[in-house]
Amino acid sequence: MGFISLLATLVLFWTLTIVIRPEREEVLNIGNPVIVVMKALAQPMDFWTVVGQGMEEASREFGVPILLTGPNREKEIDLQLRIFDSVLNQDPPLIILVASDYFRLEEPVGLANQKGIPIITMDSDVNSDVPLTFVGTDNVEAGKRGGYHMAELLAARGNPHGRVGIVSHNQETATGIDRETGVRTALAEEGVEIAGTWFAEVDQERAYQITLDLLADPSITGIIALNEVTTLGIAQAIREQNAQDRISAVGFDNAPQILTYLEQEILQATVVQQPYNMGYLAVRAAYYHLRGKEIPNQINTGSILITRENMFEREYQELLFPFAEMDE
Amino acid sequence: MKRIRLRTLEDRFYVTFTLLFFISIVTMQIVSFRISIQTVSNNNAENNQILLSQLVSQINAYLGSIENLSRTLAQDPYSQEYLNTPDPSPELSRQLQERFSLALQARDDVSGILLARPDGNLIYGDPTTPLAPWANLYSRTWIQEALANPGRTVISPSYVQNLVENRYAWVVSLVQAVEVPNQDSPALLMVDMRFTRIQELSMALVNGEQGYPFILDQEGNYVFHPTLQLVYSGIKTEPLDKLRTFIPVLASKPPGSLESWVSGDQRYLLGRSNFSGWTVVSVSSEEELMADWQVAQVIFALIGLVVFLIIGWISNYLAQSITRPVHRLQEVMRSVETGEFTRAGVIEGTDEIRELAREYDLMVTRISELVTANAREQELKRKSDLKALQAQINPHFLYNTLDSIIWMGEMGQNIDLVKMTSALARLFRISISKGKELIALKDEVGHVVSYLTIQEMRYKKKFTYELDIPPSLERCQVLKITLQPLVENAIYHGVRDLDRPGTIHISARNDGESLILEVKDNGQGMNPDELRALGENLDQPLEEVWEEAPYGGSPSSGTGVRNVHQRIRLYFGETYGLTLESSEGDGTCMRATLPLLGMEEEL
Repeated sequence: MGFISLLATLVLFWTLTIVIRPEREEVLNIGNPVIVVMKALAQPMDFWTVVGQGMEEASREFGVPILLTGPNREKEIDLQLRIFDSVLNQDPPLIILVASDYFRLEEPVGLANQKGIPIITMDSDVNSDVPLTFVGTDNVEAGKRGGYHMAELLAARGNPHGRVGIVSHNQETATGIDRETGVRTALAEEGVEIAGTWFAEVDQERAYQITLDLLADPSITGIIALNEVTTLGIAQAIREQNAQDRISAVGFDNAPQILTYLEQEILQATVVQQPYNMGYLAVRAAYYHLRGKEIPNQINTGSILITRENMFEREYQELLFPFAEMDE
Repeated sequence: MKRIRLRTLEDRFYVTFTLLFFISIVTMQIVSFRISIQTVSNNNAENNQILLSQLVSQINAYLGSIENLSRTLAQDPYSQEYLNTPDPSPELSRQLQERFSLALQARDDVSGILLARPDGNLIYGDPTTPLAPWANLYSRTWIQEALANPGRTVISPSYVQNLVENRYAWVVSLVQAVEVPNQDSPALLMVDMRFTRIQELSMALVNGEQGYPFILDQEGNYVFHPTLQLVYSGIKTEPLDKLRTFIPVLASKPPGSLESWVSGDQRYLLGRSNFSGWTVVSVSSEEELMADWQVAQVIFALIGLVVFLIIGWISNYLAQSITRPVHRLQEVMRSVETGEFTRAGVIEGTDEIRELAREYDLMVTRISELVTANAREQELKRKSDLKALQAQINPHFLYNTLDSIIWMGEMGQNIDLVKMTSALARLFRISISKGKELIALKDEVGHVVSYLTIQEMRYKKKFTYELDIPPSLERCQVLKITLQPLVENAIYHGVRDLDRPGTIHISARNDGESLILEVKDNGQGMNPDELRALGENLDQPLEEVWEEAPYGGSPSSGTGVRNVHQRIRLYFGETYGLTLESSEGDGTCMRATLPLLGMEEEL
């Protein structure tokens, strides 16, 4: 008698607990943190810092522990390969990779796939079908944005066909390739003549020199630079040559100096990415995947064209000035 | 449906207790759980309210202190002079700039101080940083608003100050237009407050994993939001349209009022900083609270279970403590059925049970006493019966003997007279034998010999007798006056009326287990009917025999024999007694079976 009533009680209490249990999403339970292999670890107040902030926010919000690693500076491909190797041995539940080389990371990513570690690429993709998704700026679209605006600028100055030089940072990097494609597509669509593409190898001085050469050509009416370093290079040359009245310049990225050039009207526009969103969406995609949800194979974090007119609009201020104080 | 029957007291106790407690615990748990949820929820809400109110008052105090600074600077004699002089000297400008610079250094939460004359000349606090030539101060809406409302401090939303070349600082500006005599448009004093302070204050309100605050200005635009980029990109959304409707509501209410709004599992708590007109919104997740509830619930269920188990155990123990003594008492009582008067003794239990056991013990003791008393009475009665039976010596025999003695005396037969008288005396001596029940066989034989001596003299030459008593048995104890009635019977019903000489043979023997005394005659014997009648008579109750043969009456046939039989049985038990054998014309043999008792054996 006693035993039966005891059993009944246990069952009753148990059902009571079940019945009142509120519906709640399960907390993600992963042993190891998700490892993010960066192209370069953040320098104070740069693009990667903001990416990191976005990641942290998502990590906090979704309860996904993350661990950031990577070489200290960009272009250290060999070091990143070694780091990636050691990360594979740590058996993370997922790797978010910012590939420093489109081709050389292909094999290690395949290795990760063999070990069953899912990969999400961020910002810079890899020449591989293995990654679940690519989270980053649609660089072709970003390039087009710059290209169309260049066409507008040229038209506004009464020379819609002009002649535009493209200063790219690298011939092998996906961002460079895609942005150039976008720019060329847009310019071709608008009937703008393209003088050619020059590669500065991620070197401001090279970009500056290239621009000086371009400025020597009087037929050039527009210059488009495809990343921060090249933008700074062309702006520096234009300012020195005081060529802003004759040259329409469109750059990429939002370094404070670039924004100042924008204010000074040395640059007419800059195409900016959304690094905060990129970091946030990459970690969110990782969370979704670990929870077993489907994720699209490409997540575009968007790009925005910033001009002198809209740069102080409330909507873009956080994007352009992610830090409380930006001193050069 | 089969009904569960609760037969035993224990089951009833247990089930009733258990059900009652279960129902009350569950009810209590649910009620207290609800109350706890309410309390936790209220506490949480209260906590949020306190935090929000704190944030609002901190923002107010903060902006207030900046406004004080702004007013002080506006009232500063140097500022006044700078504004009132149509063409201020460079010296004055330098001195004013120094004062601004000092104020800046004194407060690291202020990033810039600017005083602009209506004519466009201006003083900026930091002499080391040139103002950007392209910056257009007057394009900002809050500057326009301040100019339109001289004397009133206008607080800007958070924005990036681009006055200084290459420096982009997040600030909140406090702007006031200062009326200048003889001028159409007022001068402008602007103090830039670092926005980081507001951010720091706000971020302190980030509670839990899901809670965060944000700040809206009077128009409902964001002043601060921890993930503003996500909001502007549409990755996150806030119900701004709804929240904006609270702004005028809060503005119409007394300072410090809060508004609350729940949407889905998000709880929005709104407070207004009257000083700035900002609305501070604190967002907390009900879901997170639910998670806490769930934990609380499991804890509650566990506590309930533990309490229930304890109470179940106690009620079981209690039920058993009541029923166990009852069971014990029951067992003790059952023993009475088998004739044992076991006492319950001290039974551990409640007072009632102990009292019951005590009463029962008293009762059993009383019954046992009564039974013992009854047995003793029976014993006494038996003894008195015995005595009475022993006393029953046929008076006729005495009369006749005395008559014979008288006759002998008259006849001068002195020798016979002495012989008979002494035999009679011995007979009586042995009969009395100091009141003992048991006497030695030797004495018993002596007794019967005395009797036979008398009878032999009375019935001259009618019979002879033989004794066959082994000396080894002489000391055996026998019930006194056992042989005499048998011999009497043998004489009166056997050999007395015989026309040939009769013989009475008296013997004793040990058959290994008992002592057999035999009185055998060669008299007329009994026919089977007589024998059967006598045999049946033997076992007739004593009382009847008694009534049948009162003292006065002539002893009917077999009365003495029956008397012996009954006495043996009374004294030694049912296994002993007399057996008769007889055949008509051949004589009778009466055999008394007695236990073998040594000399020492006494009653």
